[in-house]
Amino acid sequence: MVKRMVRDTSNKLLGIARDADPRWIAGLVCLLAALPIFIRNDYHLSVMILCLIDASLAVTWNLMVGYTGILSFGHQAFYGLGAYLSGLLAIKLNISPWLGLPLGGCFAALLSLGIGLPCLRLRIAPYVAIATLAFSEIMLVISRNWVSLTRGEMGLSGIPPLSDLSLFGSVKIPFSTGARIPYYYCILIIFLITMMSVYFILRSKMGLALKSVRENQDAAASLGVNVTQAKLTAFLVSSFFAGVVGSFYAHYVSVLAPGAVFGVGKMVEIVAITLVGGIGTFFGPVAGTFALVVGLEMLRGLEGYRLMVYGAALVAITLLMPNGLLTGLKTVYHRYVRTSKQSLSRT
Amino acid sequence: MDYFPILMEQVINGLVLGSMYALVASGLTLIWGTMKMLNFAHGELYMLGGFGLYFGLVQFHLPIWLVVPVVLFLIFVLAFFIEKGLLSPLVGKPGWEVNAVVITLGLGIFAQNLAFILWGGDFLNVPYVAEGAIHFSVIHLAWHRVYILALAVVVLIIFWQIMKRTRFGLAMRATAFDHETATLMGIPHRRVYSVTFGLSASLAALAGMALAPIFSVNPWMGMGPLVKGFIVVILGGLGSFLGAILGGFIVGISESLSVLFFPSGWKDLASFILLIIILVVKPSGLLGRKEW
Repeated sequence: MVKRMVRDTSNKLLGIARDADPRWIAGLVCLLAALPIFIRNDYHLSVMILCLIDASLAVTWNLMVGYTGILSFGHQAFYGLGAYLSGLLAIKLNISPWLGLPLGGCFAALLSLGIGLPCLRLRIAPYVAIATLAFSEIMLVISRNWVSLTRGEMGLSGIPPLSDLSLFGSVKIPFSTGARIPYYYCILIIFLITMMSVYFILRSKMGLALKSVRENQDAAASLGVNVTQAKLTAFLVSSFFAGVVGSFYAHYVSVLAPGAVFGVGKMVEIVAITLVGGIGTFFGPVAGTFALVVGLEMLRGLEGYRLMVYGAALVAITLLMPNGLLTGLKTVYHRYVRTSKQSLSRT
Repeated sequence: MDYFPILMEQVINGLVLGSMYALVASGLTLIWGTMKMLNFAHGELYMLGGFGLYFGLVQFHLPIWLVVPVVLFLIFVLAFFIEKGLLSPLVGKPGWEVNAVVITLGLGIFAQNLAFILWGGDFLNVPYVAEGAIHFSVIHLAWHRVYILALAVVVLIIFWQIMKRTRFGLAMRATAFDHETATLMGIPHRRVYSVTFGLSASLAALAGMALAPIFSVNPWMGMGPLVKGFIVVILGGLGSFLGAILGGFIVGISESLSVLFFPSGWKDLASFILLIIILVVKPSGLLGRKEW
């Protein structure tokens, strides 16, 4: 009993052992990699691409909010910054989109310091939430009004697609605008790198520091955790990946409008996905993405009623499963298994 | 050319806008103070106020003195039952900070799209309450704006006095301070939550009604004021009623003054930059208690 308690506590603090098994990540990625075999339809594949974009954003948002406790509502700003930078570099300076992906990420990470540093002093969650929201609104206003650079509301169009890759000099992978499968694998790789980075951060000493900051900043600092460093790491890492994903998005859709990337709508999506899936759990954001994005697509038949049902579903899920879908389903599963075991032992 | 009249007009427009921000923000700050939640559906209550005024005045041709109290009462009742039915099962439970965000976001999306389905996405115009303008030598002011400024000031003063002097205000402040101790003193804190939520909703609806003739009515009209309201709340200090009022006027005036110097597309930048500066200089907000 005591042994189990100790094990549970150490699991809770040290690792994410029960929550994030690398085998699960591998299994998930294998499943996703095999998906194009079953999905022949271009439309369904593009839904999957959007899913992976949102999943990557939600996973990094979860690192910041769920594990570090920095309630940021400005994640879409970094996504948009990466998208705009990479798009503009490719259009104006003719820089390869492949270089644009990491550059977009670095740019987003750099600018995240602009809001990350003022937020360091803020303790109480709503202050950080509104400050980051204000930051992303500033980006929205700039991208709308700096017409000579971003073309404002007319949208930045004509962003070149990712350039063709040739592997080992022989196999050529074409990335034309119509080709869905290469893009799908590209975002899958980005998603995998994101998941693995978050996984390794959480497993390391830094992950422990992040979680201790979430639980109690003063206690963490008194135990020698560098709170500033921990918070900045969470900010930099998550905004870097948001920027990379944004760059990918820019080259994938080839048109950027300020509202589509910087808008509050994107924030709502990320927040809803993570919270529905289960905040602070490793696979929660992924589960949330597939539930909400695929669910929303399945509701297309409802036309005008679609978003209304979506809103109602958010309310219902929160009321019925306050700890998120994944935990909720797990509880239901355990209850079911336990009751069936009990009934077995009784008979 | 003489800039003085334009400057004065902009300052007064700023006061009018600021009084509306103050109404929206004081509702948000009341909810934060008692229930410790950020209400992302606040903008939709504002929107419902706007639609209420539109239906009362334009569709049913009712007199304004009847429409305003009826709409306020209906929205109070609606919000009261939303709190009872949807929020109170979760208030104070673990994970409330984040659950409050999703549930109100969901409510907001639901309300926006319900309004879109029921009433369409057109921009509906509502007539001014009063035509004409007053003239002070060179300054011209629309009567409508003067009325809503006066209305907001009166309502905010009444609210402030309610909080300060009545038994309910005392109960609300006690609950905000420490709801467990308040319960021990015999205050039904659940009831306080519901009533506070209803009152804050009526404040938002009042702002929606006042601004409906100036900006038009549509299902998405609440999103702008919501973001502004949050900014004002943080600027003034979360949970501080006077801070929300002060912040509202500051944001309103700085916005309308910035139009004089910059193209109007950039005017939203003023409040955001103001907010970031305040958070760097005085993180607790202008009048906030030191709970950050």
